Amino acid sequence: MEIDTGQCVHCGLCLPACPTYVETGLEAESPRGRVLLLERLEENPELMNDAAAMFLDDCLGCRACEEVCPAHVPTAHMVEEWRAKEAYWPDEVGPEGFAVFRRISGPLSFFFGSARGLAWFQRLVRWSHWPVIGQWVSHLRFVPESARTLSEGLPHRVPKSLSRIRRGNPPAAPTDKAMLFVGCIMDTIYAETNHHTQDLLQLGEVEVVVPQRQRCCGALHKHGGAPEVARRWAQENIMAFEESGASTVVVNAAGCGAMMKEYSNLFEKEDPWYARACRLEEAVVDATAYLASLPLPDGAPQGAEITVHDPCHLAHGQGIRQEPRQLLKRAGYHIQEMPDSDLCCGSAGIYNLTHPAMAQSLQKRKVESVPEGIGQVAAANPGCLMHIQAGLRKQSGTVEAVHPVDLVWEAYHRQGVV
Amino acid sequence: MEDSLIEALKMAVGARYLVLDPMALLTYCCDGYTLAEESPRAVVLPATVEEVQAVVKILSAANIPFLARGAGTSLSGGATPLNGSVIIHLSRMNKICEIDVENRVVVVEPGVVNVHITRALEPYGYYYAPDPSSQQACTIGGNFAENSGGPHCLKYGVTVNHILMAEVVTGAGEVVRIGNLAGEPEGPDLLGLVIGSEGTLLVATKLWLRMTPKPQDSQTVLALFDEVGEASQAVSDIVAAGVIPAALEMMDQLAIYAVERGAYPVGYPPGLAAVLLIEVDGEAHEVPAVAEDVHTVLSAHQVREVKMAATPEEKARWWANRKTAFGAMGLISRQYYVQDGVIPRSRLPEALSRIAEIGQRYDIQIANVFHAGDGNLHPLLLYDERDSDLVERVIAAGSEILEACVQLGGSITGEHGVGIEKREDMRRQFNDTELSAQYAVKDAFDPPGLLNQGKLLPSAPTCFEAKPAPVQSS
Ligand SMILES: Cc1cc2nc3c(=O)[nH]c(=O)nc-3n(C[C@H](O)[C@H](O)[C@H](O)COP(=O)(O)OP(=O)(O)OC[C@H]3O[C@@H](n4cnc5c(N)ncnc54)[C@H](O)[C@@H]3O)c2cc1C
Ligand code: SF4
Ligand code: SF4
Repeated sequence: MEIDTGQCVHCGLCLPACPTYVETGLEAESPRGRVLLLERLEENPELMNDAAAMFLDDCLGCRACEEVCPAHVPTAHMVEEWRAKEAYWPDEVGPEGFAVFRRISGPLSFFFGSARGLAWFQRLVRWSHWPVIGQWVSHLRFVPESARTLSEGLPHRVPKSLSRIRRGNPPAAPTDKAMLFVGCIMDTIYAETNHHTQDLLQLGEVEVVVPQRQRCCGALHKHGGAPEVARRWAQENIMAFEESGASTVVVNAAGCGAMMKEYSNLFEKEDPWYARACRLEEAVVDATAYLASLPLPDGAPQGAEITVHDPCHLAHGQGIRQEPRQLLKRAGYHIQEMPDSDLCCGSAGIYNLTHPAMAQSLQKRKVESVPEGIGQVAAANPGCLMHIQAGLRKQSGTVEAVHPVDLVWEAYHRQGVV
Repeated sequence: MEDSLIEALKMAVGARYLVLDPMALLTYCCDGYTLAEESPRAVVLPATVEEVQAVVKILSAANIPFLARGAGTSLSGGATPLNGSVIIHLSRMNKICEIDVENRVVVVEPGVVNVHITRALEPYGYYYAPDPSSQQACTIGGNFAENSGGPHCLKYGVTVNHILMAEVVTGAGEVVRIGNLAGEPEGPDLLGLVIGSEGTLLVATKLWLRMTPKPQDSQTVLALFDEVGEASQAVSDIVAAGVIPAALEMMDQLAIYAVERGAYPVGYPPGLAAVLLIEVDGEAHEVPAVAEDVHTVLSAHQVREVKMAATPEEKARWWANRKTAFGAMGLISRQYYVQDGVIPRSRLPEALSRIAEIGQRYDIQIANVFHAGDGNLHPLLLYDERDSDLVERVIAAGSEILEACVQLGGSITGEHGVGIEKREDMRRQFNDTELSAQYAVKDAFDPPGLLNQGKLLPSAPTCFEAKPAPVQSS
């Protein structure tokens, strides 16, 4: 994709939607500012300086601007393109975020690139809960400083095995056959959510397959500026889908879903992989949206009130806002909305590792907007879950960040339906 | 800038909030009007009125020009820095300070986004009435400076009708309050004078706004036309029938083409020449009847279809579609130049055919989106900045359109302001005596002429030798 900023009419309608503008008040940290910088740098690369690189690299890729822009200017995508081009700057040059990404991208590929790597990742994370080992883990060279605060958002109990198993109770007369996409963080740290997704799909009369061959969607690499890794992994996932015989791919991590709905962007149109990627794209559905369309039973009213955080890659990236709410309401939850529920929490893939200061300001904003008396914050994305949870723990309250699928499963489970 | 000045500004707002990096400054080189560009000397982001005051004092002592900036959505270059000005960006002063339901007053800082006020008032059953199409982004400080209007101002009035009191910092760095909570001017109407002065007289730091009760009910009627003339006639007839719609908007063929590709397509059938959007509101019992009246008037014309919004969602979509029309131009053209002329409503058909004729003569595509109810035209002249000949034609055609508006008995700006863009066109509308009165006002408020240089008033006043004595501003 060539970076074409020509569509931007400089109207400024995107400013208040942009978390980094809201946080800093700086035009240069706004979508319009970034588009202008890209435009001028395209004309004259000599203009590049540290500040400009920082303004561009501060972009969360949250796509809030793209959703509101009347001219469909793909700001987030353009910044990503720019990062992919610039990430090859020699070491020690460029914004701090680039340096962090370079340091962790190798280990990321190892851990998330295969089931074996994921098992290791899960082990390391589990051990990190033990004080002595935790310290050792957090001082491994590739673990950035910022990951230490992130680990505060981990669930108290990290599962011992990956989530790639078939659960009981397949439906007798399934109406659809779905491949469960297990992801990387979901597969390890939130393995239970994957189990719950399976249970609910089956409750909704859908047959579930969980191919072993699948792997991380590649979003972290794509957003960080290493599209070639993303491309390889996309090919693996496309093959897993084709072999599975499923007609639907259910994804419960908003970030992965948004990425997989754009797999074709990774390939040239002439490439045979392009058409295959398109077929996968069409099959991908978000778990909450898909579940909301299934005949699940009405649940009994739940006591405590919950609130909903709209992950960027669900709301802005996939236009899904109402479905998780419908699903939760049907399971019996009462929702009290939080202000700016669709403003980025600062997690943004590995942004919280590469840009800890901005990520923490946004995290603070997010947890402060959780209304009084709320028990749980529903968030359909692992990055948001961990990041918001870390923020909530800092507040030393008892509020928990929970995936909506888990909330729904628990409600049905209490009633003995699953 | 001198080191001592930099240090002083840092002391005033904090080092973090003084911007000097050239690339950061570059992003402030223009606002929604992209035909003039200049990087500011510096940008400061104050958080309080005291900080604004300190900054203004430092700059005026050093004789450095400066201007306030809100969201930079101005369409006339109002927020574009000229002559090495310093920008006072008020984005951090974005708090809603108080909602006084009893007295129906909401107190806000200047950097609050227009629609955020309405959102904050919603739970109380109120809203802030003036609704520029840019309301999702533009700030109340910018609205104050431009005396902004919007679709619903036909019935509810523009910004000046909704600001009761203002706290301002003068060019000399004094903090003054203008107006009062009763909303009645004591003596000369200073508040009326400074609202709409495009940032050339002072910087607003806090505003007391009227809260308007939400109408009990509202309905939107949509009419699809195969002929622009019929649509313009329908507009006149609706108003002649005694209906005061809350909003009455029109889009022509090219505008429809663009919005249908934008973020909120409605699904208009192909080949339409114009659509009219008419909103009526009021007491629950009267709205359906008035909507019916509108329906009847419309149906008496050659109209392809007349529809009422079936659901709130449908209505919201029609309006979102209309409100993003300018931005959607980006989908059919690299740039657009929006004009903002006003004409008497009855001359609408004539004005439209003159615009079409001008477009043809200069070979420019022109889309029309406008507040038909109050005769406020927004012809959008499409161009590409890489074609310098086209740029020149666009500017000339724009100027001719304004001339036509004045000839038809109208004015050169409805709501977007004069800014840089229409500075010289001011001479079309005002004679030397009238202009010299305006210079006198400027001089009374800002004798050294530091505030928002190069805007609003035409350059080189031929009639300004006899400089009137400065008057106290407060
Ligand atoms: C898509 C689009 C649609 C629009 N639709 C409308 C419309 O329907 N009606 C309408 O009236 N306008 C409209 N506008 C124009 C624009 O949005 C308004 O003029 C708006 O009021 C500008 O607000 P802002 O915060 O962006 O101000 P800016 O653009 O930042 O500034 C505008 C002017 O106000 C001055 N200013 C800003 N803050 C202060 C302050 N606190 N004290 C003193 N001066 C200040 C600046 O110096 C400048 O001269 C539209 C613009 C766009 C891009
Ligand atoms: S990116 Fe879109 S919304 Fe933002 S200024 Fe450009 S055209 Fe307007
Ligand atoms: S993607 Fe998000 S952070 Fe980046 S410019 Fe758009 S709104 Fe701002």
